[in-house]
Amino acid sequence: MITLLKNGKLFDPARNKNGVVEDIYMCDGHIIAKPAGAEKISQTYDLTGKIVMAGAIDMHSHIGGGKVNIARMMLPEFRETIKYSEPEAHICTPNCAHNATPTTTETGFRYIEMGYTAAFEPAILPINARQAHLEMADTPMIDKGGYAMLGNDDYFLRLLSNNADQKAINDYVAWTLHATQAIGIKVVNPGGISAFKFNQRRLNLDENNVHYQVTPRDILKSLSRAVNELGIAKPLHVHCNNLGAAGNFQTTLDTMQASDGVALHLTHIQFHSYGLEGDKKFSSAAAQIAEALNKNKHITADVGQILFGQTVTASGDSMMQHLNAKYANPKKSVIMDVECDAGCGVVPFKYRDQNYINALQWAIGLELFLSVTDPWRIFLTTDHPNGAPFTSYPHLIRLLMDKTFRNEAFAKLNLDAQAMSNLPSLTREYSLYEIAIMTRAGAAKLIGLNNCGHLGAGAQADITVYTEQANKEAMFGTPDYVFKNGELVVKSGKVVKVVWGATHVTKPAFDIGVEKNLKPYFDKYHTIQCDNFKISDNEIADNGRGKIVVNTKGQ
Amino acid sequence: MKSANINTFPITATCPACGLLCDDIALENINHQLKVIKPNCAKTVAFFEQGSGENSPQIAGKPATLQSAILKAAEILKQARKPIFTGLGTDVQGFRALYNLSQKTSPGLSHMNAASMARNLKVLQSTGWQTTTLTEVKNRADLIVCFGSDLLNHNVRFFERFVDVDGMFVTAKDRQVIVLGESSNQAIKSDAMQAASVLPCRATDLPSITMVLRALVAGKQLKATEITGVKVSDLQTLADKLKAAKYAVLAWVAKDLDFPHAELTIQNITETLAILNKTTRAAGLPLGGSDGDTSANNANTWLSGFALNDDALNDKFSEHDAMLWINSFSPEKTSPKTDKPLIILGNINSQFEQTPDVFIPIATPGLDSSGTLFRVDSAVILPLKKVRENDLLTLSEIVREIEKLL
Repeated sequence: MITLLKNGKLFDPARNKNGVVEDIYMCDGHIIAKPAGAEKISQTYDLTGKIVMAGAIDMHSHIGGGKVNIARMMLPEFRETIKYSEPEAHICTPNCAHNATPTTTETGFRYIEMGYTAAFEPAILPINARQAHLEMADTPMIDKGGYAMLGNDDYFLRLLSNNADQKAINDYVAWTLHATQAIGIKVVNPGGISAFKFNQRRLNLDENNVHYQVTPRDILKSLSRAVNELGIAKPLHVHCNNLGAAGNFQTTLDTMQASDGVALHLTHIQFHSYGLEGDKKFSSAAAQIAEALNKNKHITADVGQILFGQTVTASGDSMMQHLNAKYANPKKSVIMDVECDAGCGVVPFKYRDQNYINALQWAIGLELFLSVTDPWRIFLTTDHPNGAPFTSYPHLIRLLMDKTFRNEAFAKLNLDAQAMSNLPSLTREYSLYEIAIMTRAGAAKLIGLNNCGHLGAGAQADITVYTEQANKEAMFGTPDYVFKNGELVVKSGKVVKVVWGATHVTKPAFDIGVEKNLKPYFDKYHTIQCDNFKISDNEIADNGRGKIVVNTKGQ
Repeated sequence: MKSANINTFPITATCPACGLLCDDIALENINHQLKVIKPNCAKTVAFFEQGSGENSPQIAGKPATLQSAILKAAEILKQARKPIFTGLGTDVQGFRALYNLSQKTSPGLSHMNAASMARNLKVLQSTGWQTTTLTEVKNRADLIVCFGSDLLNHNVRFFERFVDVDGMFVTAKDRQVIVLGESSNQAIKSDAMQAASVLPCRATDLPSITMVLRALVAGKQLKATEITGVKVSDLQTLADKLKAAKYAVLAWVAKDLDFPHAELTIQNITETLAILNKTTRAAGLPLGGSDGDTSANNANTWLSGFALNDDALNDKFSEHDAMLWINSFSPEKTSPKTDKPLIILGNINSQFEQTPDVFIPIATPGLDSSGTLFRVDSAVILPLKKVRENDLLTLSEIVREIEKLL
């Protein structure tokens, strides 16, 4: 059965198509080349005048796993946010419940309604990976996947501390990817989460973890090398040391140099771009960070934009979240040490436009977006739900595409913050093509998704169709059509069919001999069997509702 | 008949009988009778060695076909305007199915452990807390303080598995255990428990004792020399030990704290931890757990956006006009009394205090079917195995059949 999408205006950066009018043919869930004359077209959508992009991909969004579920559990207050309207409510998509921690069902629905067809959980604690996958299994409509956290786990730190050879580390990293069914590796506050368990309260890039006597730099070097040598497409996903601390931009700049030129992705970089200038000793270092990003081609970043309103921050960074807990609103927090493997810190937050620091955080994020010149290396995120719920993406896109709208919003901010930002002097407006790079082609390339993020033959038929409007928030909040694996699932911004997406993983080759050391280690120090740590393909398949897609670099 | 690899060789299994989910259980299957080779845990033995029961659904106490029982259950639910789903003793997959069913019948959902779960939840939702997990305890804890009891009635192997062994950063002999509460006097062998100091007190004395301990840890001076039979000087010694410990773990089982406003006692413990963590490291450890309570709570939370038992269930409970009792794991636990139609989806050996209108035996996850459970610390989620052969349907399968008829 062939479906024809006729006469759409394509924004497909992976194939250099910038507003080209072209037909798309779909068959059996995929995009196909124009069929031979004899083949029957079963259905045709006339997309004359419409904007057509691949389904959008969120490369960093906390959609599954322990942290966000703790946030849901501890915040009955979010029953009230449903009644919110502006200005308390986030500026969200039409059907949004203004709840920063949506249910798994709402997560899938809200994403697909915005034309997003995939989202990636960036912080899977390996020991907790089964929960992350259970939650993602209950998330309909979209494809999903995640990055497994290493670098604070005792096993890795021991290897590093004992000067294990790189092969041993590579095998362990690959084994972890297989065991957790992940597509990438993340490190959060390298060495710091472990250090906090030994009562260290901050850890700088060249400071030793007191027990293992290794530095964050050592960890970054070793893990990025492993990722690179194993041929994992997704660069090491780095949440730098000193999250949210005034003056942390220097750590961020130094981190860019920590991998000796091996690719690194610095995540929610807005939270790591703070200077120490001004009366309040908190300033924007976006210019320095953007300059370094522009210069260092091996670095990519996502922004982690904040938007005003009630949300909750959920991070693996127990060390820094313990420090941040004093700013909690409502006043409560959950901090956990987890299984000699990782940590967790959940702190509710309310960002206010009249608060100096929050207002400047908002401006810093936008300064970064507008000052980083290469849209292939910067990604649109709010670090959902940490900066804001993902449902505010259409609003954020408008801020990037419409400088009048942006400057009006800026003029409402805390005045001291306005005085400390150069945002109004940044006149850049993102084009539709650049938005398509950031949210589609670039994200697919970064993660290493073989068949997503483009509209060429062979691609998964995940396609979003918009009507071009002057108000880009309205445009991106309500697509005309969304097709998932070739099926029409959203019409005029509303779900018309419920489907279940796949889980994207990568499975690099490795020496299974690594288990000779892991099994006794589990028996001696862990509290579960090594075999139970591993998640089988069958668990993901979930009696047929789920599916694994294995992505391989270079295919 | 579903296929499974059932044999007479030792089988390694995961035990759902308490929140620890020990996954090192060795079983053998001799002539269709399971036998626990190790460990020597009464709960584990009772769970795995339970009988295979009479596999017949019942309507009003009389044997019935599965189809007619399903039909009758659906009929009751269809007529009910305010049904309640309670017990909820199942695994993640079973809960997921029940949740879907609940979307069609909008019942109240209340776990059989709702009262004790609420004690912890109230603290989580009021101030939050700082907690740890079992592998951290095993490798790091140099001081373990148990509030209310020695935990052994609930988590039989806690000391054997996590305290009597050397960890990465602390040896077994360098750990100290202090119990503020009652010893359970069980014949359970534990080196750490034998060396433990016990400050005997009743659970109902804990509100004042934990308040004093919290004040002492905060550096306050007290005039009183004794509090409900416990010497303040002993509590001062405990406070000093807590401050000197590298990684103190404060453990409690909410079920032991069965008195009004027990959440305030738990909060005294967690706020003591907040003070300790200003200068050293310490963490809380809510223990206990049974009948899939942690799993039901977690799954409900991601499915509904909110914790289980979080809404005004008491009203729904008293006003219900039909009750569905789900109990996979604990045949001896019976449904609450009701004068309304009662449906039981339960373990094959289920006992009844009142004859249910409908009884359908279901596969017990970890015994008759595979499954997935959350450990009591919520950090670890483990697969359960089918370890004996029978043709019982899972809760999900039964619920799906009922749902089709609604």
